[in-house]
Amino acid sequence: MSICPVCRFRSNNWGDVASHIHDMTSRSDPPHVMWLNRNLSSREVSSQELAGTLEDYFSLKGGLSSWIRGKVIEKIYGERPHPFILAMQKPNRAVLLGYVIEHRHFLRNWIRVLSMIVYKTDKDDVARYELENISQEFLGNGSPPHYELLIRMGESLGLTRDEIMSYDPLPSTSSSIKVWRNIAETRSWVETMASMHSMELIADKSLRNYGSKMHYFNPSILTDQDYPDAVKKFLAEGYNADEYHAWKALELVEKYSQELGVVEDVQVSFLRSLDALSKYLMARLERAMEFDPNLIKFVEAVT
Amino acid sequence: MKVITNGRETGKKETGCALCGGTWGSYYEDVEDQSMFFCCDLCAKAFINTVNEVKKRTGWDHLDQLELKGNYYTGRTCVARREGKEYKFYVKFNDEADIETFREL
Repeated sequence: MSICPVCRFRSNNWGDVASHIHDMTSRSDPPHVMWLNRNLSSREVSSQELAGTLEDYFSLKGGLSSWIRGKVIEKIYGERPHPFILAMQKPNRAVLLGYVIEHRHFLRNWIRVLSMIVYKTDKDDVARYELENISQEFLGNGSPPHYELLIRMGESLGLTRDEIMSYDPLPSTSSSIKVWRNIAETRSWVETMASMHSMELIADKSLRNYGSKMHYFNPSILTDQDYPDAVKKFLAEGYNADEYHAWKALELVEKYSQELGVVEDVQVSFLRSLDALSKYLMARLERAMEFDPNLIKFVEAVT
Repeated sequence: MKVITNGRETGKKETGCALCGGTWGSYYEDVEDQSMFFCCDLCAKAFINTVNEVKKRTGWDHLDQLELKGNYYTGRTCVARREGKEYKFYVKFNDEADIETFREL
């Protein structure tokens, strides 16, 4: 089944979908035009050429999870890596504080959306996986949870806990959270699962083996005396996580999306999530600029 | 007004949307008495909001040139020019094409 990545118009062939998209762009429909600009090409092509490009873009040559990994690398670690990732190669106090303040809101939303997966699924292996993840993020399993480590990182950089908690999310963070909540509320649990756990891939160090030019952050930070221990502890948590963990969710997604016949829907929801992630990562840098206005020069240099 | 988007002159169907550089779509809007091409109405709105904000902050009655670098995700670093004078700024829009962030550089 071929599917429009914007409005989910369906057909048995990509030619029909391409004609539909072409028709929408000839009317300057913003969602369709923007999707093409951001994902395929900003250069207008014929319906025939677009059909071939779409077919190639959505084809699952190595399976769904490999396709998802490829798109994450392309969007976040591609020719022009995301400015936040570049900033994390040697983050200053402002970049890390931007991370703390915005990510607190991300993590609160993370567990709420994962709870929706548990609520909607009838698969025990999925429910168990998500409950373990929620527990690890918010309660901890004998050690401080990820959420607490994040707050401690902020404290080690000079903000009090109350100060960290006092920030509302920036509009870009709120907008992205709205996208993830909308997916959770309106789409299937498999699509929600793909949308959420694909985001964990950006911190997966094995991406270097598949074409990513750099890690999520420069690993030398973990032994650098210039960074407080709380920073190293937070960053190390993700870096040292079992690589299997990052892939387990996508294995479940791959298995159940085929079983339930929603592979194309999963692809489309994942792309929406990836778009929201790119926007959200920039919000961390925007927040960082409040602590270090000179970061704008860095953004200017890398865009 | 001459518009340069990510290193290329834009503002016509052949050259691309004055804001994002895309050649999809067929939306036109008059900006400072000049018919300008945009891929969609949201790009047009964001562009016009930017021009108006620059005019408001500089007191200029029009712009000779606007150079934009960046995209939807990163925001855009820009240089506006008028009679030999330059005004540099960073701008980012929300989903409704209103200005979300505006910083002078």
